[in-house]
Amino acid sequence: MITYELMLLLRTMPKPELHGVLKRIATAIFDKGGVIRKLDNLGHKDMPYKTSSHGVVYNKASYFLYEFTVPPSSIDTLLDEYGRDVDIIRRRIYKKNEENKFKCTLDEELQPPPYRKEVQEMIAKARRLDKPKFSYNNGMDYYPFQK
Amino acid sequence: MNFLVRNSNLRSFIGAGYPIKYIQGICNTSTSSSTTDPDAPDFDMENPFEKEKQQCVLCKHNIEVDYKNVRLLSQFQSPYTGRIYSRNITGLCKRQQQLVEREIKKAQVAALMPTYFKQPSYLKDPQLFDIEKPLRPHRF
Repeated sequence: MITYELMLLLRTMPKPELHGVLKRIATAIFDKGGVIRKLDNLGHKDMPYKTSSHGVVYNKASYFLYEFTVPPSSIDTLLDEYGRDVDIIRRRIYKKNEENKFKCTLDEELQPPPYRKEVQEMIAKARRLDKPKFSYNNGMDYYPFQK
Repeated sequence: MNFLVRNSNLRSFIGAGYPIKYIQGICNTSTSSSTTDPDAPDFDMENPFEKEKQQCVLCKHNIEVDYKNVRLLSQFQSPYTGRIYSRNITGLCKRQQQLVEREIKKAQVAALMPTYFKQPSYLKDPQLFDIEKPLRPHRF
């Protein structure tokens, strides 16, 4: 199952009302057969840019983060549902990042170009386009073509 | 027994100034090919003077890049234009640079991070790299 993260920006409102909105958002997830794993309050703060939604311009928002699991097919309907919600300024659903395991390739990248593997591959690829050339050391003691 | 004495003599004799790897290499040779020539050099040994491999900042400290960590991401952003610095300036490896760029874009559309400037409260954060001295020259 894929875990998703829902980044929510809610308009400024008193606590009881906020409680109702958060509950409404959660029920929408439960209705799709989902499970909520985490709910974070990231605080009420200034947005980096002003946003208008549902005909109102907002400069401040309360940020919330839901971590949940739903069937992937219901993501679109969820987004659509939240888009119609007047209390939500902005919503984004991302897949939760998995732990990356890879080796740092900086050392190879800092090599001079002819030592870099990708450059070597590129040159080899370009060489493949060369026209075939007659080689003289093939055992024939005469040149078979017109000079 | 004779052997051990000679070996230890060798160690104390060469001791200073050479990397430990190199000394060990010499000592090993004397033990393995003692039947033929104890002083024969071992040509199969790895390069004792090989430099340590360079790593980028994020790989070295094993930092996970995430779009919610805006403070970290804003260090890869220009304070003047909000542009993401490229790989020749940030000094990250290819994969990490890709991740950083992806996460910054995610943070920007989620209204966590500004697009045309750096968040003023992060302006005095320490510099991870020197903008004036890129690893490779660039066209700007």
